[in-house]
Amino acid sequence: MATVALKALTKRYPGSDLLAVDAVDLDIAHGEFMVLLGPSGCGKSTTLRMIAGLESIGSGELTIDGKRVNDIPAKDRDIAMVFQSYALYPHMTVFDNLAFGLRRRSVSASEIRDRVRDVAATLGLAELLKRKPHALSGGQRQRVALGRAIVRDPKVFLFDEPLSNLDAALRVGMRGELIKLHHRLGVTMIYVTHDQVEAMTMGDRICIMNGGKVVQIGAPLDVYREPADMFVAAFLGSPPANLLTGRFNGSGLEVGDMRLPVARRDSADEVIFAIRPEDIRIDGSAPHAQGEVLAVEPLGAETIVRFRLPGVASDVLVRGPRTVAAKVGERVPVVFDLDAAHLFDPVTTRRIL
Amino acid sequence: MIPKAFLFVVVIVYTAFAAGPFVWVATMSLRTTSEITQDHYAWPETLHWEKFPQAWFNSNYSVYFENSLLVVVSAVAVLTVVGAMAAHCFARYRFRVNRILYFIIFSAIIFPPQITIIALFQILVQYGLYNSLVGLTLVYIAVQLPLTVYILESFFARIPADLFDAARIDGYPEWQIFWKVSLPIALPAIATTIILNTILLWNEFLYAVVLITDEAKRTLPLGIQRFMGDQLEDVGMIATGLMIAIIPVVLIYVFFSEKLIQGMTAGAVK
Repeated sequence: MATVALKALTKRYPGSDLLAVDAVDLDIAHGEFMVLLGPSGCGKSTTLRMIAGLESIGSGELTIDGKRVNDIPAKDRDIAMVFQSYALYPHMTVFDNLAFGLRRRSVSASEIRDRVRDVAATLGLAELLKRKPHALSGGQRQRVALGRAIVRDPKVFLFDEPLSNLDAALRVGMRGELIKLHHRLGVTMIYVTHDQVEAMTMGDRICIMNGGKVVQIGAPLDVYREPADMFVAAFLGSPPANLLTGRFNGSGLEVGDMRLPVARRDSADEVIFAIRPEDIRIDGSAPHAQGEVLAVEPLGAETIVRFRLPGVASDVLVRGPRTVAAKVGERVPVVFDLDAAHLFDPVTTRRIL
Repeated sequence: MIPKAFLFVVVIVYTAFAAGPFVWVATMSLRTTSEITQDHYAWPETLHWEKFPQAWFNSNYSVYFENSLLVVVSAVAVLTVVGAMAAHCFARYRFRVNRILYFIIFSAIIFPPQITIIALFQILVQYGLYNSLVGLTLVYIAVQLPLTVYILESFFARIPADLFDAARIDGYPEWQIFWKVSLPIALPAIATTIILNTILLWNEFLYAVVLITDEAKRTLPLGIQRFMGDQLEDVGMIATGLMIAIIPVVLIYVFFSEKLIQGMTAGAVK
């Protein structure tokens, strides 16, 4: 168990003008499952590698359990990491892969044997200890990689997109197992992913990054419901929030030809009106507008409907129940749940409401 | 599509072409020189096996063999370890002059030995290494190092970086990572360089003939040359000497060939 604190952590790769990681502040509590989420190239992996000690820290301070570790090499930080590629040693058996880290830490041979057997048993690897990695399936390799981290009993677990190389069904299963593992061990975990479903389902908190900067930190549902800026609103959710240009005009907010009863804020006239697809209903009672159906995507449990609203440039997506009976080309009444909608400043992209 | 029979014929012709001279020398190694002069291509009537102990004991082959073994084994051992370390550095670490150094070492491959041999001769004389097996070994190491680094570097560079990161996190310092991760994974490539260097150096003649003069310090290729007089060539004994010389090369090939093929066909790291 350990706390991890990042203070203005910054990294610039040699020969690059851009900061890969730009003054990242992040406090991770004892036993917390923190997810670093963002599109590729947002600096989340570099941040993780700086925590691991695999990348040097440009400036700022990294502390583990209150102790500054900027200049402590990876091998002395007492952390374990699971890699996207699993990074199993191809020339060693599963047993040796699991035992490799312990052998370095002057653990007795008999204790190594016991600990490896224990971990192998909990992960269902007991029968595979004599195999080499090339004789394992993807899911089994993933377990060995996980076991290699667990067996060390480290202060902090780091995960670098560990599920990306698994097929969809295995990924869902492993997600559940990682959550269980976190509950059982109660240890601090930092998890990097670009998959928002993983972030939403696994994280105690999510730290969303973009362009090397932290955009928002919070519990999954808070981040989802109260996005700090347009990036988060557009990145989270599948499909993401609809972002429509609007303009305050006297009595309310004009979005296209619609006039919505939204109170004016003490800001510019131009705003971005954001509303999630599930906060729009197809409903004849007091509709805000009539939308023209462009496409209907029945997903089984729900139906995604694509609309064009009068005077609105971009298409609008609506997540409706599976019973939605819209047909392409039809005009249907649309109601916005304005309590759930947000306004963003188009210049700063920050949320106003 | 090419008919199978045609391919089969091609393989047979090529095998005969490659193996023919070898078989010829092998038959000559069991015939006396006078028998050979009478009919160059005849099959041995009586097998003169006694020529082998004769070459070994009377013609000093035991000494040449020992010298060759000493020089080649130590040169290959140093080449393998130093070459692997250099290759590991070039492949793994980002440092300012990495590519420049690599280019300089690599460009040494293109110079023919004749260019450097006079300079080498003088350097060795100055350092008292002329006409010594240590000197010859050092020269062999220097000559073969670029190729060794070149072969190994390309292999080391293909080892995924995550493995090194994993070993670092598992608590290993760089030095141990080299021995416990890089080296074992690169074994096919290392076997390739061992075979290549052994064969090349075992048969090496030019440097040896320039840098060694003492009878007692001759390596095998020089020993075989002793049977070539100005007036007369003892063809029978040359053949016998060649067969003796070839044995270790065959052995090392048999021993490492599986690894060699792995190394050459490898995208082996997965």
